[in-house]
Amino acid sequence: MEETTKKGDMVKLISAEGFEFVIDKKAAMVSQTIRNMLTSPGGFAETQHGEVTFPEISTHILEKICQYFYWSLQYASGKETEFHIEPEITLELMMAANYLHC
Amino acid sequence: METHNTEDVTLMEEVVTMMMEAFKELCSILEGNQISKDLFNFEKSTWRLYSGVYSLCRVNSNLCNSMMYSTYGDLLKEYIHGTLLQSLRLKQGEFFLKELVTRWAHYKLIVGWLSNFFGYLERQYIPGNSIPTLSDVGINCFTHMVYGQIMCAIASPAVISLIDKERDGMKIDRTLVMRVFRIFVELGKGSMDLYEKDFEKPMLDDARDYYSRKASIWISECSCPEFMAKVEECLIGEEKRGRCYMYHTTEKKLVSRVENELLVVHETELLEKESSGLKSLLRDNKVDDLARIYRLFSRVHDGLKLISILFKEHVTCEGMALVKQAGDHESSKKVENKDHVAAGLLQEAQVLLIGRFIELHDKCLGYVKDCFQNDSLFFRALKEAFEVFCNKSITATSPAELLAVYCDFILKRGGIDHGTTFEQVVKLFTHVNEKDLFAEFHRARRLLFDKNDSDEHEKCLMAKLKQHCGGLFTSKMEGMVTDLTIFRDMQKSFEEFIQSNSEANPGIDLTVTVLTTGAWPSYKTCNLNLPPEMLRCVEVFEEFYRSRTKRRRLSWVYSLGTCKIIGHFEPKTMELLLNTFQAAALLLFNSSDRMSYSEIKDQLGLTDEDVNRVLHSLSCAKYKILNKEPDSENISETDYFSFNSKFTDRMRRIKVPLPQVDERKKVVEGVAKDRRYAVDAAIVRIMKHHKVLGHQQLMSECDEYLGRIFKPDFKLIKKRIEDLIGREYLERDANDSNVYRYIA
Repeated sequence: MEETTKKGDMVKLISAEGFEFVIDKKAAMVSQTIRNMLTSPGGFAETQHGEVTFPEISTHILEKICQYFYWSLQYASGKETEFHIEPEITLELMMAANYLHC
Repeated sequence: METHNTEDVTLMEEVVTMMMEAFKELCSILEGNQISKDLFNFEKSTWRLYSGVYSLCRVNSNLCNSMMYSTYGDLLKEYIHGTLLQSLRLKQGEFFLKELVTRWAHYKLIVGWLSNFFGYLERQYIPGNSIPTLSDVGINCFTHMVYGQIMCAIASPAVISLIDKERDGMKIDRTLVMRVFRIFVELGKGSMDLYEKDFEKPMLDDARDYYSRKASIWISECSCPEFMAKVEECLIGEEKRGRCYMYHTTEKKLVSRVENELLVVHETELLEKESSGLKSLLRDNKVDDLARIYRLFSRVHDGLKLISILFKEHVTCEGMALVKQAGDHESSKKVENKDHVAAGLLQEAQVLLIGRFIELHDKCLGYVKDCFQNDSLFFRALKEAFEVFCNKSITATSPAELLAVYCDFILKRGGIDHGTTFEQVVKLFTHVNEKDLFAEFHRARRLLFDKNDSDEHEKCLMAKLKQHCGGLFTSKMEGMVTDLTIFRDMQKSFEEFIQSNSEANPGIDLTVTVLTTGAWPSYKTCNLNLPPEMLRCVEVFEEFYRSRTKRRRLSWVYSLGTCKIIGHFEPKTMELLLNTFQAAALLLFNSSDRMSYSEIKDQLGLTDEDVNRVLHSLSCAKYKILNKEPDSENISETDYFSFNSKFTDRMRRIKVPLPQVDERKKVVEGVAKDRRYAVDAAIVRIMKHHKVLGHQQLMSECDEYLGRIFKPDFKLIKKRIEDLIGREYLERDANDSNVYRYIA
């Protein structure tokens, strides 16, 4: 990762099956919804504990989402690489993207 | 066609209930606790709420969406109605404002949270249906329910009264005021309309009323300087106020409103106050107060006009008073004394007057520099004022002449700083209109009599005049100075010449000053028949001069010469200092003791006027060197004169004055003639340049061109134009008689 993040500036995304994905906060902020929740004033549980549960998103979709976050950051800093999507997961991925607004 | 399955309905109800609960909890938390990260412990995850709305609306059922949308709206309204308004109802004044600010902050939080929960609507439902966004809904609800009755009716006046309290000297919570007006700005959704209409306008109106009240009190109680000091204080205060806790555009409006009330409305009354207004400040030299007045009124449009007018009036008044004083002095002295005594006093008075003018000029310049910050408006006022009274004659003595007298006086005096005095004189001089007249008088005075004057000072004065009026103006005077410088060398060479050629020696000590024609005023050369001794002198000098320079002709001006004659009177021998005319007349009596008027006249070859003067000075004045028959006061053509051998005086050496013909008229005439030539030259020059020119333009160009030297009379210019047309330098245009053409 080119970006430098402070140590500890991570968020935990938990899938429907209970898998925990620990990613940089910056990456997570690619999702508008996550960004809104994390930056809203007031001490919500999310900002406090820094973890979000997605009971409707399966693990491998969530994994792909996280990959997307990082890819998006890379793309934004100039590197134009390809983001490959397996056609089988497309539909689920779209729905998750819709939910997360990214 | 929409179908509502029971699933959807249940889900909807679930979501709504969930939302309500969450909302209630949020509200209670806001009530009870501080919004701090440590204390707040909201268990229900926002995601659940968000997910709820999401799953409900995802199906794109219009019913669900609109339901959610209105729920959102309802929740907000409930909050406002239930919590917000209730709490505000109980408070008053400053506490009310504090409460308002807090509540608004809370409200914003609520809107933020709910927007997050209902976020999906923002993407899904709102864009397609052109309805207000969630944040807009928030603002609209607030505006609709709270604005009219709370903000405008109560909040604005409360804030304004706080501001007035601060004006009266109390300390107020400025941040509070700032927060309140921010609400107005935020409610405006980007435009300043609400702020300006409902907050700024009443505030400005109030400021205006407040200061108009204060101003009316102060204007009657305070003197002008006191009032101005108060105004300055207020303006500083208002500026600070505007900067500290208002929107930046308001500051300017506020300050200009206050300026209007305090300065513009009362300007005339204030400045024309009898004992403390502008004129009295000028009189009493109150520099600080004047500077403050200038500073403050320069902020206001056209504020300085009145001040400059009053300033001009004051200066004119003072100047005219000096003029009148001098005039009265002069006429009273004339009544008391005989003329020749009055002449001396007259000069004294004139010198004094100019001195006073210079003082006044310096004082006023000081004002313009120190108080009025060198504003050109005031320079102009000063100039106009001085032009008025500097050009007023004092009992027939024109100001140009007065200045010439003064310069003469200064040049004769030692021990004063000539440089600065000349500077002052020249500054004053720039206001005098008839500059060429001054030049003539100055030349007429700087005659040959005082050769032992310091050339330095003359040159200094020349230099300064040259600086201000141009070289052309001073060229003649410089010629005079040059001649005087050469004179000394010339005299030495002449003496050497005499020593080396013994037969050329005329036997009498002779000193000659050679004047270049044109540089000096034109003196009458009269054909005085010289006695043989003097004639010899003249011949010798002419010989000497011819040996030095070729092709120059000398014309002798005997009227300005002086002679030293030894008179052998019976009581004792005396030395007489006389004018050449007088000497020539007296020498006639070497050959005969008694002569008639006509005989003397024939022998001398002078005019009646001159003969009269000469004989009068020798027989009827202080020293009676000649006896007159009959012994009357005036000379007549039938008189007889005889040598008074009994004449004596206490002193051994006396000077017999010969009163000069009043050159004044001659000088004025000479100047008038010169002016005609100057105008001619100017017209021709201008026309040559332009080839074709209209009448008005020609007039104005002439005026400008000649204005440096004298103020041309329009009639004169017109006459000269006609003359030039007659002489075929110009012609009138065939089509338009107002246009002139240059004839090459």
